[in-house]
Amino acid sequence: MIKAVCGLLLRAFVVLSGATILTFALLWNAPGDPAQAIAMARFDALLTDEVVDQVRQEVGLDRSFWQAFWAWLGPLLTLDLGFSAVTGRPVWPDLAAAISYTFPLAFSSLAVGLAVSVPLALLATKRPGGWMDRLAVAAASLGNAIPAYWLGLILILLFSVKLAWLPALGASTPAHAILPALTLGLGVAASLTRIIRSGILEARGQPFLPAFRRRGIVEKSIGRDHVAPHAAIPVVTVLGLELAFLLEGLVLVEVIFGRPGLGTFLVQAILARDFAHVQAVVVLTALVFVAVNLAIDLTYRIVDPRIGESDA
Amino acid sequence: MTLNVTGLSAVRSGRTILHPTTLEIPPRSRIGLVGASGSGKSTLGHVLIDDLRARGYNVAHVPQSPDEALDPLRSMAFHWREAEMALGLATGSTDRVGLFRALKIEGGDMRKRPWGWSRGMQQRFVIAMALIGAPDLIVLDEPTSALDPVVAATTMDLLSVTLKDRNTAMLLITHDLGLAARRVDTLMVMDEGRLVERGRTEDILENPQTRAAKSLSAHRSWLALPC
Amino acid sequence: MLTVSNLRVKRGARVTLHDISLSLPAGKTLAVVGESGAGKSTLIAAILGLLKPSGGQIAWNGAPTRMVRPALVMQEPRAAFNPVLSLRQSIMEPVVAQNIKLTQERLQRLCAGLELPLDILDRRPGQVSIGQAQRVGILRALIASPPLILFDEPLSALDAVAQKHTARLISDLQGEEGFAALIVTHDLGYAVAHADQIAVLKAGRIEEIADSETFALNPRSEYCRTLRDAAIALGALEAVA
Repeated sequence: MIKAVCGLLLRAFVVLSGATILTFALLWNAPGDPAQAIAMARFDALLTDEVVDQVRQEVGLDRSFWQAFWAWLGPLLTLDLGFSAVTGRPVWPDLAAAISYTFPLAFSSLAVGLAVSVPLALLATKRPGGWMDRLAVAAASLGNAIPAYWLGLILILLFSVKLAWLPALGASTPAHAILPALTLGLGVAASLTRIIRSGILEARGQPFLPAFRRRGIVEKSIGRDHVAPHAAIPVVTVLGLELAFLLEGLVLVEVIFGRPGLGTFLVQAILARDFAHVQAVVVLTALVFVAVNLAIDLTYRIVDPRIGESDA
Repeated sequence: MTLNVTGLSAVRSGRTILHPTTLEIPPRSRIGLVGASGSGKSTLGHVLIDDLRARGYNVAHVPQSPDEALDPLRSMAFHWREAEMALGLATGSTDRVGLFRALKIEGGDMRKRPWGWSRGMQQRFVIAMALIGAPDLIVLDEPTSALDPVVAATTMDLLSVTLKDRNTAMLLITHDLGLAARRVDTLMVMDEGRLVERGRTEDILENPQTRAAKSLSAHRSWLALPC
Repeated sequence: MLTVSNLRVKRGARVTLHDISLSLPAGKTLAVVGESGAGKSTLIAAILGLLKPSGGQIAWNGAPTRMVRPALVMQEPRAAFNPVLSLRQSIMEPVVAQNIKLTQERLQRLCAGLELPLDILDRRPGQVSIGQAQRVGILRALIASPPLILFDEPLSALDAVAQKHTARLISDLQGEEGFAALIVTHDLGYAVAHADQIAVLKAGRIEEIADSETFALNPRSEYCRTLRDAAIALGALEAVA
């Protein structure tokens, strides 16, 4: 177990360092002059070459790529995300503010996804091939095909414009989170429904189940104690992938609903070539990914102890 | 009490795989149900179990391989508790220690999952679990074919000893008349979904009447050893 | 003649075969018996050249065994064939691959020897009985006339009657075709009835090698006596007083 965790941590380290170097390089080599972009963002006006050169020196863009990278990485090793060259403020408080909008949204989307997909999959598998099953599969396919930005706009049109039940733009009250959470959550639900459905159907085909029925064990216990754990294995795997889907969707949804979360934070930072901000988001995303994958791998070992056993 | 069943039959995708069959199983009897693969003997076993259970009898079933009897994600203790509950017995009220000792698996760790035990021990655990509620009948469907011969022989011997002081009748389903010959006193021979011959074991071994029984009897062992 | 001398196989840090030495003359049958995990399948893989031994030699008449292309008959007859090809297509694969001249007459003779109707070859593996599928597996092994055929638990998927039937067909064909047979099995009854010699493998070592008669009547080691008594208890061998 300890050995396995060490292996996973090593993998996490490789992922983290790869991600940070790669994004730093992409940003460094992006077309256009970064110093110009930073100066524009900072002063909000067209500027003379002297000012731009001054900014270049101040921010350290006249150094080589690796010098600049180490200059950023050094403080990070002591958990210091540094200062933004654009705003002149430390990165962490701004990032924390963005996180405080994004993480609750991510979790409520996942909750919506699970709340919709689990009952839907259970209904669908009551009678495989029946009308409810076919309806659920069709709904899930449709859900997968609809892009988040379109669904978001439709929801705004319906609940904010026509019915005026819910606020559309901003993030000042918890009610503001409902529509974005629905937008993301329904997308998550679509793919989860299919996975849970096929997981349940496959688990029902386990060769030992007929013997359990002959032993007189009631259907309810069989479903809860023997089908569900086997069905959970593929679902756990897919939850990790869902998180990737969520992060990608969050950027879009936050922009649509005008929420000042990580997505908006990242888009602005890229436009302004704000190295410190972009890198902070990348490190954070990579950390979340690594943590989630670690959690999934560990969950696996609990759900299915055969994994990780050498001679099972 | 003697178990009687009449008119058992089975049809699968339009084909009759079991023609109407009538059986009588006295208590403590040792019956062998033999036939070639595809003769319908396993089907008869399943239909028999379902019929008797529906009529309120306590019938236990031991499938061919422990893989068909145990959930790899659940501990042995879980399986045991679940089997007790299925019979309406209080947890821990059954004589697990006695059964385990009789089947020589008292060393098994109940916290482990099936694959933490050897296959022979798993199969004996399944047999122990089948005997929990002192069933009227235990049906064993090729109980040794997934085991190594030494383990298989030990398992069958322990089963005979364990059943000795009980009222449970035994139905041994097998394609191997040699295996059944030493363990049962009555034989029933199946061929193409029909029970074609039944009688005392010695009679069928020495004087088989039908084609199926003759073939099984002639091929029951590889070689006779003078020892 | 197949000669295996001081064969040693390691899987990771574990030694799965220790100093195995045995020989099998052309046209003869050697049965390798032992419980699961004793190393029987590893031995087959080593003889086929599918894994690299960490010590010792395997040779057929002094040359590496793969030069004579030994054939293999597998345990699960249906799984041994590509399910979407007809049996005929599967059988023709070694013929095409090794550029063999196969006459219709020889195919007919082999099919007759295995009691297989010729039209069965146009079916797919799922459309024939397990016993028939296994006999087609043997046909595929025989088709290139290899001097050595390896059988990995060839009978364990069959019922008792089909086992004896198939074993007799293998023996008869061996008499006609003259191949050497190395049979891995856990059924001591089969080994005693059909092999010239029996090697007992236990935990990667050879416990005993003897000709089958000696073995059945008077095994030397305690373990081999246990094996024989189990075979008697399961009815594979019959003890006549």
